Amino acid sequence: METVTFPEKEVAEFISENVIPLRVPHDHKPLSDDFNIKWTPTLIILDDGGMEHHRTVGFLTPEELMASVLLGIGKMYFDRDAFKEAVGMFKRVLGDFPDTGAAPEAMFVKAVAEFKLTKETAPLKEAYRLLSEKYPDSEWTKRALPYRLL
Amino acid sequence: MKIKWETGLTAALERAEKENKAVLLDFFNPG
Repeated sequence: METVTFPEKEVAEFISENVIPLRVPHDHKPLSDDFNIKWTPTLIILDDGGMEHHRTVGFLTPEELMASVLLGIGKMYFDRDAFKEAVGMFKRVLGDFPDTGAAPEAMFVKAVAEFKLTKETAPLKEAYRLLSEKYPDSEWTKRALPYRLL
Repeated sequence: MKIKWETGLTAALERAEKENKAVLLDFFNPG
């Protein structure tokens, strides 16, 4: 990450605009124990109260990193019941980074957030259709399988 | 442009609250 992804100008600008970057060694005490760190790189999205909302372990390309960060911010909003803001973040993942590993999860949780907002099941059924079409081998497509019956 | 990393959790959380942003916490291996 230090030699490939973080030095990229696009990544640096993205990080500056979207999150507060915090870097600590993997053996930092007490944080490595508090967050149960076992491998590097481990990247975690926290809210301003220090609560964890999203985590990745292992190398990410610039595109995968940016998609993952947006997904994590969206999940932070989701966990806070800020579903409109969450949907906005998940749409950014799908619009800007549709071919990343974060995209299928973003599609799944976007539909759940839309259901939370509207109490309509149509977004869930549509999510299964789109997941099946665009990401047929994703675990998120399997998780959405029951929604085909809605 | 380089990333300006915070190095302490308290300062990062204070900035997150002030700027209404999430924190990206990177546990790295300094080698």
